[in-house]
Amino acid sequence: MRPGSIIYFFREAGKSLNRNRLLSFATVTTVAICILIFGFGVLFTLNASNFMNHLESDVQIRAFLDQELTTSQVSDVGRKIEVMDGVKSHEFVSRDEALQNLQKEFGRRQYDLRATLGKNPLPHVYVVKVKNPREVSRIANKITQLPGVHKVNYGKGTVERLFQVTRWMRIIGIIFIVLLLIGAVFLIATTIRLAIFARRREIYLMKLIGSTDWFVRWPFFIEGVLLSTIGALISIGVLALAYGSLIGKASNVFFIKLITDPTILSHLYLILLGAGAALGIIGTWISLNRFLKV
Amino acid sequence: MLVQFYNVSKIYPNGAKALDDISIQIDRGEFVFLMGASGAGKSTLVKMLFREELPTRGQIFVASRSVVRMKRSDVPRLRRNMGIVFQDFKLLEKKTVAENIAFAMEVVGAGSKDIRVRVPEVINMVGLKGKENCFPGELSGGEQQRVGIARALANRPLLLIADEPTGNLDLNTSQEIMELLFDINRKGTTVIMASHARELVRAARKRVIMLQSGRVVDDSPNGESLL
Repeated sequence: MRPGSIIYFFREAGKSLNRNRLLSFATVTTVAICILIFGFGVLFTLNASNFMNHLESDVQIRAFLDQELTTSQVSDVGRKIEVMDGVKSHEFVSRDEALQNLQKEFGRRQYDLRATLGKNPLPHVYVVKVKNPREVSRIANKITQLPGVHKVNYGKGTVERLFQVTRWMRIIGIIFIVLLLIGAVFLIATTIRLAIFARRREIYLMKLIGSTDWFVRWPFFIEGVLLSTIGALISIGVLALAYGSLIGKASNVFFIKLITDPTILSHLYLILLGAGAALGIIGTWISLNRFLKV
Repeated sequence: MLVQFYNVSKIYPNGAKALDDISIQIDRGEFVFLMGASGAGKSTLVKMLFREELPTRGQIFVASRSVVRMKRSDVPRLRRNMGIVFQDFKLLEKKTVAENIAFAMEVVGAGSKDIRVRVPEVINMVGLKGKENCFPGELSGGEQQRVGIARALANRPLLLIADEPTGNLDLNTSQEIMELLFDINRKGTTVIMASHARELVRAARKRVIMLQSGRVVDDSPNGESLL
């Protein structure tokens, strides 16, 4: 490609943008809104799935030990739990500590729980965290089978329901984003089709004079990608400002810890920019080929 | 031979027969009129020259290359050998005279130095000196067609194709345009002009190919059939 032609492509794209200012503005706005919604969707999904991960990782197994175990038997159970496959950490809570905790939680200031109960009815407990929350029921079963373990509690049922909810949340989030993307491509294709339609006489003329298909395409590609990239930049700006101020005001929204990792966020913004450019290319491509068949 | 049609027929998908077994040969340097009433097949024939339409049957050669068998990617090269003048001028309203002509050179990838030299040259040739920076809307019909002709000449075509170039012009202006086309022909460019302006064609005393219902009914070297 000759350098003169490249200058020509950019000049034509620029002229067209300037000449069809209203249409250019409409396209930029459309792209910006699409990317903005998409960006918010992604941020929401990211935060939601972050929250879900958080919820899932909170799932823990409480293994209650038999009352009559000796100290060495208790630590024996601890060692067996420790070497168990998939266990992240385990913490021993003695019956005394457990009672103190109970006293803290329920006891009034002057109320002596221990005196009321006479003797401590609580067993020793191992609080076990697992590496993969989905393995919680398998590991709980294994712990139940250990000698000296009286009972295991891991919120059976609740955990399963939680996983079901989080799975559905993720599926719905992905569907939502895919739908938005499809919508954005269609909007851009339509807008660029309008821009091309406004210049169809010119394209027809170019083809009859003897320009190649690519010579016709290039200015439109530059125009389409420029418009969608500008739109994406605007939406990224808005998104960054809005999310930034949200993070600045509160690190928590409804007890959900927001994602503040700058690497994740800058990756997200880069992806949005790339998505904007891609939308421009796809939209231009869909619209352009129909007008080249001369 | 510059243009050769061998047994060319064109039937449109709706069943309309536009051309019926046409065979024509046009030599380099000729000036040829295609005559006939509307619907006789002039436009179809003209469009086949630059491959906007393909024949249903038959072969077409331009400068010894088959237009029918040509690859899609070779079509731009075919068209760069031709200049096309339209009845409705097809000027870009938002470009000036000079820009309209430069456009034709830009879109085939001409260099900017070449464009700077050639544009004033063809503007002179068609007698529009001083109007370089006018927009088409500021020109008369005759002047606009001169721009159209200048644009067609810009890339130094072998063949100038004019489809009813005087169709939208009054008689005096038409005659001026004809003079311009004869002048271009004298300088060596082959001209094929479709027209149904009988008086104009008769006065020219050039070769006339007469079409009727898609068939050649007469082909006379000096337009004798119109006398």
